[in-house]
Amino acid sequence: MNKLLEIKNLHASIGGKEILKGVNLVINEGEVHAIMGPNGAGKSTLSAVLTGNPAYEVTEGEVLLHGKNLLAMEPEVRAREGVFLSFQYPVEIPGVSMTNFIRTAVNEKRAYEGKEPLSPKEFLSIMREKKKLLELPDKLNNRSVNEGFSGGEKKKNEIFQMAMLEPCLSILDETDSGLDIDALRIVAEGVNRLKTPQNASIVITHYQRLLDYIVPDFVHVLADGKIVKTGDKNLALELEEKGYEGIA
Amino acid sequence: MKVLHSGEIFEQVFVDESVNLHVMQEAGSKLKIHLINFSSATNAITIEQVGEGCTTEIYALAYLHGTEKVTTETHVKHAVGGGTSNQLIKFVLEDEAQGHFIGDLKIVPDAQKTEAHQTNRNLLLSETAEMRTQPQLEIYADDVQATHGASTGQLDETALFYMQQRGINKQKARQLLVNAFMKDVLATISDETLREQLLNSIDGVVE
Repeated sequence: MNKLLEIKNLHASIGGKEILKGVNLVINEGEVHAIMGPNGAGKSTLSAVLTGNPAYEVTEGEVLLHGKNLLAMEPEVRAREGVFLSFQYPVEIPGVSMTNFIRTAVNEKRAYEGKEPLSPKEFLSIMREKKKLLELPDKLNNRSVNEGFSGGEKKKNEIFQMAMLEPCLSILDETDSGLDIDALRIVAEGVNRLKTPQNASIVITHYQRLLDYIVPDFVHVLADGKIVKTGDKNLALELEEKGYEGIA
Repeated sequence: MKVLHSGEIFEQVFVDESVNLHVMQEAGSKLKIHLINFSSATNAITIEQVGEGCTTEIYALAYLHGTEKVTTETHVKHAVGGGTSNQLIKFVLEDEAQGHFIGDLKIVPDAQKTEAHQTNRNLLLSETAEMRTQPQLEIYADDVQATHGASTGQLDETALFYMQQRGINKQKARQLLVNAFMKDVLATISDETLREQLLNSIDGVVE
């Protein structure tokens, strides 16, 4: 199996407060890893640090993506290398249309890979095909990014962008929060269909519910900035039953 | 001074000029002007609605770099009721650019049923850019609809990061946000060719 991501002794802080206190994790191609843990354990910090959010400071440790030093890359370069974050709170961008936004993103990635930009026709046909996957209405194309979208539409829109960008590492940060059961099923099916033997996902979640749909190969418990326990999908069930205190 | 006679329509887009305009609007006349500035200028606009049922629309956009400075002064006076005025004034300031907006809106005691809106929004793209806003509202009639809003802010960092996370480089993400901020002023230009030309000129970096 090929190593996709290696996190070694990662420490990170925000505003001088240490949140991650030595995270170690190896993710191979084709794997789905769930990260669970109580509020404030550092789950969202981990996704922010992996994607290069400037609000966080890495104080120690190393992260390698396909053997390359991820932490040295600008956020946009990490994205073009294939790191994708489905945001817990997708951002509204008034005045920037969905179509213009996604086309710019797709063509930036293509340029980085030395490919020609997609013609408007090619782009629209790919977009139409990927939209079906998430059952997203066409009317959203002409709207500003996430503006006036319902909670469910915002989350579907994140997975739609993931489908368009075909990342090698997808981080789903609390993608299930705020979703009703139908939207959850659509989002999860979308994620499952995008799975290939070459890519991998990190699924950050509070609840076991999402993991009924996106079945993880590994479940990690993050508590107080460290991974304190690792198991298979049964660990999630155990957590649901006993709570974090019963485990950690 | 210019007089817009009863029912007359005056519409003009001024691009990169200093505009000095004083217009007296008679009943039912319509005025719509755009002040688009990409370099230093001084604009002084005085509009007096002296007849009933006039419409006044003033749109201004200044996008400045270096040490450029634009001062835009508007004086809108509703001397008679039943009229409408709408002002949307935006400044985007890079580097050490300076913007100054003086907006003087007056509704006299008898000018009932007047509707007047003045909005000033500014985007500061550097710590050394400077914006001064001086709204002055004198509303003496009671049966009117009048709104006023002024705000000056910076680019939304969370939106910038969101775009970068999708692989859009920071400079381009910044330009997309700046263009989005400016677009609504240009979108109100009636002349389609000119509107598209100006929209393309600000979009050029992205397409």
